Amino acid sequence: MAQNRQLLLIAVGIVAIIIVIGAIILATRGGEQPAPEEAPETPPAETPREEATPTPREEAPAKPELKPLTGNVEEDIVNIAKYLEAFGVKEVTYKVHGAGDPNSIMRVYGVVEAAARLNKILEENGMDLRINVEIVDFSARADEPAERFQQSFPLRQEADIIAVSFRWIATFAEEGYLLDITEYVNAYKNTELADYFESLWASVTYKGRIYALPQDTEARPLYIIRAVLECAGYDPDDVARRIDAGEITWREIFQIAEDVKEKGCAEWGVLHRKGTAHPDLVQFYYAFGGSFTGPDPEKLYLDVDALYKWLAVEYALARAGLTPENMMEWDWGKQIHPTVVNGNTAFWIGGVWHWTEWQTKKYFTDPQTGELRSLTPEEVKEKFAYSLFPAGEPGLKPVTLSQPFVWMISANAGKFNPNYEELKEAYHRIAFLLIVKANDPDLVAIHSIVSAHIPIRQKAAELMEDPEFLNKLATGNLDMFVSKEVANAFVEIAKKTAHPINIEFLKNTAYMLEYTNITPLHPAYQPLADIFKEAVDFVLKGQMTPEEATEYVLQKIRADPELAAMIEVRGEIPQGWSFP
Amino acid sequence: MAGPAGEVLAATVSRRLKIVIALALLTASTPILLTYGLLIISSFSENMVTDPLLRDLSPTLSNWITFLQGRLTYAPEGLERNVVEMVVVTLVVALGVAFTATLVSLLAAYSISRMNFRGRRVFTASLILLHAFPGVALIIGVYMVFLSVGKALGLLGNEFYALTYVILARAALEVPMATWLFKGFFDKIPWEIEWSALVDGASRVTVWRKILVPMVKPGIAAVLIFTFLAGWEEFIYFYVFLAPLGIDSLPTFIEEIVGAAEYYQLTIVAAAGTFYLLPTIIFFVFTQKLLLEAYSGGLKG
Repeated sequence: MAQNRQLLLIAVGIVAIIIVIGAIILATRGGEQPAPEEAPETPPAETPREEATPTPREEAPAKPELKPLTGNVEEDIVNIAKYLEAFGVKEVTYKVHGAGDPNSIMRVYGVVEAAARLNKILEENGMDLRINVEIVDFSARADEPAERFQQSFPLRQEADIIAVSFRWIATFAEEGYLLDITEYVNAYKNTELADYFESLWASVTYKGRIYALPQDTEARPLYIIRAVLECAGYDPDDVARRIDAGEITWREIFQIAEDVKEKGCAEWGVLHRKGTAHPDLVQFYYAFGGSFTGPDPEKLYLDVDALYKWLAVEYALARAGLTPENMMEWDWGKQIHPTVVNGNTAFWIGGVWHWTEWQTKKYFTDPQTGELRSLTPEEVKEKFAYSLFPAGEPGLKPVTLSQPFVWMISANAGKFNPNYEELKEAYHRIAFLLIVKANDPDLVAIHSIVSAHIPIRQKAAELMEDPEFLNKLATGNLDMFVSKEVANAFVEIAKKTAHPINIEFLKNTAYMLEYTNITPLHPAYQPLADIFKEAVDFVLKGQMTPEEATEYVLQKIRADPELAAMIEVRGEIPQGWSFP
Repeated sequence: MAGPAGEVLAATVSRRLKIVIALALLTASTPILLTYGLLIISSFSENMVTDPLLRDLSPTLSNWITFLQGRLTYAPEGLERNVVEMVVVTLVVALGVAFTATLVSLLAAYSISRMNFRGRRVFTASLILLHAFPGVALIIGVYMVFLSVGKALGLLGNEFYALTYVILARAALEVPMATWLFKGFFDKIPWEIEWSALVDGASRVTVWRKILVPMVKPGIAAVLIFTFLAGWEEFIYFYVFLAPLGIDSLPTFIEEIVGAAEYYQLTIVAAAGTFYLLPTIIFFVFTQKLLLEAYSGGLKG
């Protein structure tokens, strides 16, 4: 039918017009922003790739060489600048993405300030090269940068530097997404990186290679609510001291919690974090002597004995009404924190960062006015004592757990800069120097203070004891920052948090790093941790006994051929052992 | 009983029946109303309101101010997230989906309704089947197409390409249902109207454009609203195709702050949720009659 044909032709025409319009728009946009592989983000005038490359070729002996890293930031950045300038590069850009609680903005601003410091060195040495840093985002959810990195790497759109939990290293390193910085670190091991705490290098090393630099770390103290323990006739400081000495184990904690509840001093005995926070609970496993390592470095080991005892403690706590059966479903803002700060539990298995969180968020109900408000530093100190996570049994040591945040560099770092394929070694080195400078002692100290994390290097810890430095922070005098943008961002946070009580707390908890455990960098750990979380939920709710839950974990491992091949199960459920 | 008295009684009974039905419906929908109501009220309170009698309400506008400023930190400057940009991105996708799906389905529905071609019956029947595929189930395939087309055109990583792709891919999911709805509208228009125009010398396209399309205007409005809401409420396509390029949108931003509820006030999350619900609420309040009629078998033009 002729009319049908006409309709068809018109439809084809419309589609063709759409395609043509689309192509025109794409072509115009494409001119402004070329595809990533050949994408110089800097203006063409400043990046004469075509001009720069042939010049050295014509004058063969003049072809610049990139000198090896010396371990001196000033010397190295000037050498790199000379090399890049010889290729006509005068501006380089990096993208950074970080995440965390609202006070942890150093996880992006650290790199911005690092660029400003490197630029200052370049300027002082008469170099033209300038380093720009673009902030992709500072995300609220801690894993957001890692997830986005994973999605955007195949599209070559990932951030060049990300600040994320160390536990992503194994996954990304296996995929080839991360820059292996072992050689760079070796060059700096005796200079800028010499005072990093030794225990943290394990968190950035995967299969013998280094893929990141530590950014911060933390400990997870057991908070002891003073008023509650005093009400039941205990001395909280003495309890804390004896926990650290290994004299009070989980059996005694159980008895104290029971006593507190019987005497009506608090509704609950022990509360802990929930949901995504399940890594905290693996402290029980370590406290009962469990370990994930063994003779074969390729394997992940699971000690059934420690796993069973962990689940038995959780089971007993919930059955005795000392821990809520639905703990894993409690609401952070409505239930968990208010219960802790209003003294309705004897113990709280928390993290160091809660110390300042209670000072900035309104969890506390003022007994006089009945209104919600945050606590003052003095009140936090008055309300809480703290110790390590108690040992499981006599003869074992108390523990804590750290999940360091790290700076990772993309394997394609600097990809948007001119002539990337030829110059990528120089771009990678600048990325490395950026994270080295982002970890300057003063920046680490400021981050630790404002976000209540434990510093990753000795020099920062020392600076945190310097009264002059602290006074500057407390009064908002942030002249240590080269970047005005960064100084402005920190001024209010610093005034709010640089309180002597908070700094004293961080100093007092730094010893915990000697007792810390870092969960293994093994691809099988995350799936195993997810199974742990399910098992804990089952025993808390009484849906499984500790034996059944242990068996459940083992069955889940056996049911997954990959996990079964990677995990070596050791030992058995202990006979005749009971809790409490 | 006859006469005026009987009519009065019948009217009373029916009024009573209506009240009973209304009460029953109200009771059944109370949990939903309460949930949405408390969410909206909480966004104007300093703490989450969980008491239906609102005894724990403590009024404030700070949640809205904080959310609209995109502030996630105490920092006075620098790290605010651009909520306006997120709204624009979400809006562009939603509008793009609405217009693309409506245009394509208007043409498709007309051919199915009025033309005879091989496989028409099977095609019509399979329309509903196509609609049954949720977007998330197709995501791997859609991603593969995204990669291969992007590579072939050298556009991988191009923001405009990603945005266009999301609009087209999302619209494709809406086309089957919209076509089905439009077919209902076209079927109800008497053939004689079109026939008389054809006799007067109008072409098929003129008939479609000048006579049929104006007659299904209420249907177009309904489909535009449905497809707009589908685009607005989309999450997975925003997350997979736009977020990796650093393009923030409302759904991904809300997911992010919900995921970080440990750090952020739930009242701010409530403000974000309420803001995100606004178009849905507005459309359903003002156009519910139109939408219900559209779903129950077409409208009279």
